Amino acid sequence: MTGSGPVDRVGRRRANIGLAAVFTLPALLCVAFLGVPLAALAWRGFGSGEFADNVTTSLVLDSLRLSAITSTITLAVAIIAGTPLAYLLATRRFPGKAAVDLLLDLPIVLPPTVAGVALLVALGRRGVAGRPLDAAGIDIAFTTTAVVLAQLFVSAPFYIRTAKAGFESIEPVYEGIASTLGASPLRTFFTVTLPLAWPSLVAGAILCWARALSELGATLIFAGNLQGSTRTMPLAIISAFESGKSIDVPIALSLILVGAAAVLLLLLRVLARGTPMRV
Amino acid sequence: MFRIDIQKRVGEFDLRPSFETGNELVVLFGPSGCGKSLTLQAVAGLLRPDAGSIILPGGVVAFDAAAKIELPPQSRNVGYVVQQLALFPHMTARQNIEFGIARWPAAKRRERVRHLVALLGLDGLEDRRPRQMSGGQQQRVALARALAAEPSLLLLDEPFSALETPLRSMLRREVGALRRRLELTALFVTHDLSEVHALADRVVIYDEGRVLQSGTREEVFRKPVSHRVAQLIEARNLIPGTIDAYVEGVAVVRTPWCTARIRDPEAPVRGSVYVCIRPEHVIVLRAGREAREGDAVVDTVIIEEVAMGNTHRLFMRALPLHTDLGEPYIFEVDVPAHPYEVLGIASRRDWRIALTSEHLSMVARSS
Repeated sequence: MTGSGPVDRVGRRRANIGLAAVFTLPALLCVAFLGVPLAALAWRGFGSGEFADNVTTSLVLDSLRLSAITSTITLAVAIIAGTPLAYLLATRRFPGKAAVDLLLDLPIVLPPTVAGVALLVALGRRGVAGRPLDAAGIDIAFTTTAVVLAQLFVSAPFYIRTAKAGFESIEPVYEGIASTLGASPLRTFFTVTLPLAWPSLVAGAILCWARALSELGATLIFAGNLQGSTRTMPLAIISAFESGKSIDVPIALSLILVGAAAVLLLLLRVLARGTPMRV
Repeated sequence: MFRIDIQKRVGEFDLRPSFETGNELVVLFGPSGCGKSLTLQAVAGLLRPDAGSIILPGGVVAFDAAAKIELPPQSRNVGYVVQQLALFPHMTARQNIEFGIARWPAAKRRERVRHLVALLGLDGLEDRRPRQMSGGQQQRVALARALAAEPSLLLLDEPFSALETPLRSMLRREVGALRRRLELTALFVTHDLSEVHALADRVVIYDEGRVLQSGTREEVFRKPVSHRVAQLIEARNLIPGTIDAYVEGVAVVRTPWCTARIRDPEAPVRGSVYVCIRPEHVIVLRAGREAREGDAVVDTVIIEEVAMGNTHRLFMRALPLHTDLGEPYIFEVDVPAHPYEVLGIASRRDWRIALTSEHLSMVARSS
């Protein structure tokens, strides 16, 4: 901006100095508020010298294993079932599309406990769809399957939303040109559309995974809190607190979750920036 | 032989293109938003017409509403280059070119890519991605990709509009030469009249979804069929007059500023017309020199001039032959730099001009 002369610039810098002075204090308070609890967690967790012992308890190991397995399955199901939906929502018009869109937003804004109750009413032993399943000898509520379903309900919309935005951002001309070059619609989807949407798909997958990993309310209501089969890490933290023995185990669990979240977020930044797929 | 005659309604816009062509480069020319690009989309199969038919070279029926025939785009074998190129950004130049011939045997495919790379001067760029290439290089890759599967028809939608002028005229020449070498039928969309001059074997003049005129470039420029076509091809001088007589294929048209003799076997015998002549076909006469037999002569005064690089455009005012005949008429005259200097046009303002008879045409005037 060479057009704005030196006078303007000096003027703006002075104004900025005044503004910065006023804004710095609340900004620092904000950073401290977010940073201090996490720092305290790390200080207590690693400072006690017993982090390794706390992490190797069966409560922690079981929940860690269960969380890893269930969140991974959730992610896989969300991708396989959610990608076609995201693509259709982004590229086609169909009756009831607005309703589907709304349905996808609801789990994002609803309290997860509501999701848990809804799932229980639908798939619980005496639920709408659960009763015939029960008659067929299939039990869902309070099993590991229920954990996956609870996670899926609250986290899949994050993947579908992001993937949809990715598909929407692709100019239709790419698919048009691919078809004039002889590619069938399916080949066009896999060789052109999917690679072009890749950054969004990865971002959506990471958001979905993170949400599944932190899922608590819906799981507690629909799947219960049984060590080994439904007690994921967030539930293990609650259980460890309720047992009242020591605060060290919840701290260790929390630190693992903080670490996982940080890794996922870093991954998101790197993939969203450096991917060669970007247009 | 390529033939299109379709109707398509897009919102309020009514598209009804109709023309045919042999093995030529056809320029679809008209103002922005006149339906040229939509026509190409329909030919490529990306836009479904409401009615009519499209016959591709080789007699392939791509679309026929009456017979309920509609080939999907992937079965039409039409090469399509769009303005934004739409090179696949995640693929190298080679992968882009190979996209349309993925099913060919590997050896044949490699040979084809090698051939196209040589043909379009892309040596050494095969493994670059689109964003690692210049605009002109991307243009060539897009062209190679469209040509790879040996299409029967090439569609070019303002392919050079994003490029700088020197590169543009170079690629224009290359595309023209390439098309002749490959003996392809090509439809080339542009709103730039200079591309019509540079490229067209045949011109289709579009306006508001309709074809106003279609013919060889010479035909259209020599004899526009309407006032609107004359405007679009920038004939500039449209002089209102009346047919006075018609003798042996020559119409005598009287205007308030001159009388013109126009050879036109199909001319109407009487009526109101515009006499039509392009700025470059008007001659500024040296002092004392007589006009040729048959040319219309007008005495004028230069009222403004614009230097346009290698030519000067003069705005020359002519008074009516009788004061009660109306307003002065402003002729637009292009004089190349050399005659401009030799004649000493800058030295005085009164000049006699001649409207060369072989370049005169006329279009009907409703009044």
